[in-house]
Order: sequence, then C-alpha cells, then structure tokens
Amino acid sequence: MSVAEATVAPARPAGRVSGRHLLILPALAVLVVFFVAPYLNLLLISVMTPSPRAAYLRVLTLDNYARLVRDPFTWSVVWHTMWLGMATTALSLVLAYPLAYHLARSPRGARGALMVLVISPLLVGVLIRTYGWMILLQDTGLINQLLRALGLRTVPLMYNNLGVLIGLTHVFIPFMVLSIAGTIQGVDPELELAARSLGAGAWRAFWRVTFPLSLPGVIAGTVLVFVLTVSSYVIPSLLGGFTVLTIPILVVRTITELFNWPGGSALAILFFAITLGALWVYLRLAGRTGRTT
Amino acid sequence: MASLRLQGLTKRFGDVVAVHELTLEVPSGELVALLGPSGCGKTTTLRMVAGFDVPTRGRIVLGDRDITADPPERRDCGMVFQHYALFPHLTVEQNVAFGLEMRGLRRPDVERRVGEILERVGLGGLGRRYPRQLSGGQQQRTALARALVISPRVLLLDEPLANLDAKLREEMRFYIRSLQREFHITTLYVTHDQAEALVLADRVAVLMNGRLQQVGAPEEIYHRPRTPAVAAFIGLTNLLPGRVTGRSGERLVLETPAGTVRAAGAPDLREGMEAMLSVRPEHIELDRPGEPASRDGVNRLRGVVQERTFLGSLIDFRVDVGGGVLLRVQGRGGAPQRVGEQVSVSFDTTAAWALPRREG
Repeated sequence: MSVAEATVAPARPAGRVSGRHLLILPALAVLVVFFVAPYLNLLLISVMTPSPRAAYLRVLTLDNYARLVRDPFTWSVVWHTMWLGMATTALSLVLAYPLAYHLARSPRGARGALMVLVISPLLVGVLIRTYGWMILLQDTGLINQLLRALGLRTVPLMYNNLGVLIGLTHVFIPFMVLSIAGTIQGVDPELELAARSLGAGAWRAFWRVTFPLSLPGVIAGTVLVFVLTVSSYVIPSLLGGFTVLTIPILVVRTITELFNWPGGSALAILFFAITLGALWVYLRLAGRTGRTT
Repeated sequence: MASLRLQGLTKRFGDVVAVHELTLEVPSGELVALLGPSGCGKTTTLRMVAGFDVPTRGRIVLGDRDITADPPERRDCGMVFQHYALFPHLTVEQNVAFGLEMRGLRRPDVERRVGEILERVGLGGLGRRYPRQLSGGQQQRTALARALVISPRVLLLDEPLANLDAKLREEMRFYIRSLQREFHITTLYVTHDQAEALVLADRVAVLMNGRLQQVGAPEEIYHRPRTPAVAAFIGLTNLLPGRVTGRSGERLVLETPAGTVRAAGAPDLREGMEAMLSVRPEHIELDRPGEPASRDGVNRLRGVVQERTFLGSLIDFRVDVGGGVLLRVQGRGGAPQRVGEQVSVSFDTTAAWALPRREG
C-alpha cells in the first residue's frame, strides 16, 4: 500500500480526489438522504407556526420552543427520560461487565457460542420480544401466578418504570457486553499476572489494571445504551402503559394526537440538543478520570 | 537471600506432560539458566514457580518455606515477562512503584526507592514517560526495575532478551549479569538461546521434552554433555555413532564408521557399549595428507573436502571421512583447502567426547 502510494502519488494531478475516498460515497449518500435530510426538515418544521387545518403554516416563529422551555411539564418528562436512560445504562453495566470479562477470557471456541447467546435478544423482533415480557410480567403473568401459588404477595412488574427498565436492559445489554468484551480482549492477561506477582490480590489486580484499561469499552457501551434507551419508543409505550411517559412517546403523541407537527418537531430537536449536551459533559468527565487513573 | 528448590515438579495439561519430575536447586545468590528448545516446559516451570500454574505433583520450596500452594501475590517473586507486561496506563514511575504500593509502603519511601532503582538502571529522568514512549531496551530495564525494586526473594526471567535486536541483546546479557551480581539475587533465567545461557549462568539446566537432561557449569555443559541431545543442542557439533572397544590410558578407544578414534568419555561408559562421539567443528584441524596413523594425543583421519563456505572470520568445511560420515570443520579465515582436495583431519583426543547412546 505505502509503496504503491509512494510511486503513484507524484504522478497524480494535485486537487483530484483519490479513488480510495470514493469508497465512502454510498454510505454518505444513504446518510444524507435518510438521516440528515429528514433532520433538517424536522428543524425547519419546528420553526413553523402550528395550524388546525394544515400540518403547519409557513410562518417562521420561535414560539414552539419558547412554550416548551417555559412549561415545567416538558422538564419533568425530560428528567424522567434521562433518569430511565441512566438507570438502564447503570443496570446494563453492572450485569454486562462480569459477562463481558468472562466472554473475553474464554477460549476461542467457547467464545463464539457465548457471543451468539449474548446477542440472542437482538435476534427476536421488538414486538414479539416485548409481548414475551408482557406474558411474564403482567399481574396475571407467569411470575405473579407463581408468587400467588407460593402464597406470596404479587408484585406489579408491568405498566410501571420497573417493567420498562427490565425490557430495555434486556434488549440493550448486548451492546454493552460487546463493547466491553472488545476492549478486555485487547488487555493482555499477563498484565494481571504481573500485578499479582507484584503483590496485588486478584481483586486489586483487576481494579488497578484490567478495569482502567477497559474504560474505553465501558464509555462506548454506556453511551450506546444511553442513547438507545432515551430514544426508544416501543418498549416504554408497551411495557409502561400510560403511566410511563418519555420524550419519544410525548413527541409521537403531540404529532399524532394533537396534530401539532411544529410542536412535536421542536420537542424532538430540543431533546436532541439536551442529549448531545449531556453526552458532551459525560465524555469530558470520563476522559478526565480516564487520564488520572 | 533464599535458595529455590524444585522437588519432583510435574505438570500435566490433559494427556500432555509438560514438565516431568523436575528436581532442581538454585542456590542462594546464583543464576541458573533453564535452557531448552521451545515447548520443552521451561516457561511452564517458571510459571509454576511464580504461581500462575499449579503443579500436578511436586513441591516448590523458597528458602525454608514451601510455597507450592501460595497464590502469586504471597510468593515474593520478581518476574520479568518476555513481552515485559508493563502497565500501559501507568508511567514508568507508577509501574515501578506498583509493587511497593501493594506492600503498603509510605509515599516518601516509595518515591525514594523508585528514584534510586530508576537511577541504577539508567532510566533517571524518564520516570514520567509511558511505556509506549520507550525503546525496547528502556522497556526491558523498566521491567527489571519493577521486579527488583520489591527486593524479591527470587528473580524470575522469561526469555527477557528475546524481543531485542541482536546488538542490544548482547549488551543486555552483560548488564543483567552485573545487576544480578550486584543485588546478589537468586535467579531463575529461562531461555532457548544457548549462548545467552552460557554467558549469563552460574549453572545451566538443560530441559528437553519436559525432562531435565543435565545440570552443570557452562563449561561442563559445553565440553562434557551427558546425552547426545544436549550435545546437539548446545553449540555446533559432529555426532558419530561408535562402539567402545577398549581403553588406552585415560582414553576410550572407539570404533566408528570413519575409523578408530580415541576420546575422553563419560565415566559410565564401558567396553562393548554403544556410544556417540561428539567433536566440535572448531576443534578439528585440516592439513595436507601426511602420516595417516594416529599419534599420541591426536586423532587423525583421511578425508576429501566436499563443501567450503566462507563465513567471514571462519570457513565452514564439510569433509567426507569415509563410512558415510561428513564432518563439519571450522577453519580460520585463510584456510587454503579447496573442494575435492585430499586432506588430513586431526583433533585432540581430549577434544573428542564419548557419551552413552541412549535418548532421553
């Protein structure tokens, strides 16, 4: 590669795009058409005036944003969504880390089989998987029937935050496991042995050596799970019923039930900005602790 | 300081016997090289001493303490890994301080001792660097400093020079030797490089197929190998099959396909036994064909030069001495013999070494 470039480069006319850069074009095109363009459209709609007769009036206004920002209800839903995101992320992290460690340190053959098991939640469609949880969790579901048969008190597991937390953690845990396992695999097991022979017990060797070196995977996994959680719609609406309200649910209701396209768009954009800000703060903090350990 | 004793150490992985009944002592303050080809069990042995692998049978005794069942952190072994295993997220100082912190030393003491050892290994001023910012030799010295700073009872080195280029390797051999002498630390040094073992070690233990072949001073291993496998592994040698037919003074008389040869021999060789004769290429001289009979103290054979390879300071010959035997001979740079030339091949009877012909 480098030899070919060294001999070819001088002959190439300056300013021409090299063939290699063309390789990103298909992906770029898909992103622009299906992601960037709709978002710009959303941004545009969010500054239009709502109308009862049309989707919106072509009159520019910042009123949609002003109303959202002034409404304490908006902030309570934002906070609840963030809380759900953080809780799911924390629960996934606690459950995923030992699993990822085991996976990364398994022999090559066993690792493949374990990997399939880990990603199994993603192999089932979201609706089927969620209905599966409903069968287990509802008041007349399997778990509560069992509790009742044992003469115990039933526990409300669905149509509340707990049910949503369970459903979200289940489906997003593979992302956490895979990011963390990837970095742990890159940590030489001999480092832990070196720490042991220098006098660290197994637990201390882990915390002082393996864990800090796996932080990039932890950061990637937490960001991934958080972003997926705060933007999820199906699981919170099915397992949460009418009691759990998150921003994606509120956006959809504003648009489909109130027919307020500009209002829903403004909420979506506002939340996008808040999420981005929260991630920025998180990455700054994570980067700082990553440097000092 | 403490001596390290391995007693009947055995390690099995499933059906594979990696180490078989290994008994070896590293006397206090000495450096013993565990030498053998790759896969001979030497690294497994080291890992058992460090506590990373559990022996199937046998005992490991350090000083007067049986450490066979102790976890690695309670063994007081300073280990230097082949790939150094420096902590990439810690600076050189933090790497070296790690063991002292685990021992609960106070901050000022840690700093003082880290500073001293870094100065000693020539890394003063590089303490704030990360391992990836160091050259191979500097990483090597960091690993040594990290192992030595905790004043371990035994130093374990696993092929520590295998990843350095040839010139640096040569330097580091003498450097490690002088450090080991200065700290007077009991050391077990694993290597597959016989030159390294001969230069560094007080004693060399040759391990093959998980079995200990021979333990002895470097000269003894080199000049008086006890098995054909050891003779072939250490340096270059010519191995000729033969039979002991008698004795002539202190020498054995052997009948080989290339003729009758007198040689020094292992004490357990007796008349009528099958033997193997080892003659080092550098101990053989080539002359014009003169008197064919062997004189006192010198063996003389007739031969024809088959191959001649220029090696700079040496010339490598292959000489056909009859009976299907090709002898490898290393002559000085100016040796005039040509391919096809008739030559007389001579070597001292003390330079020929007979050993019993049995494998294992």
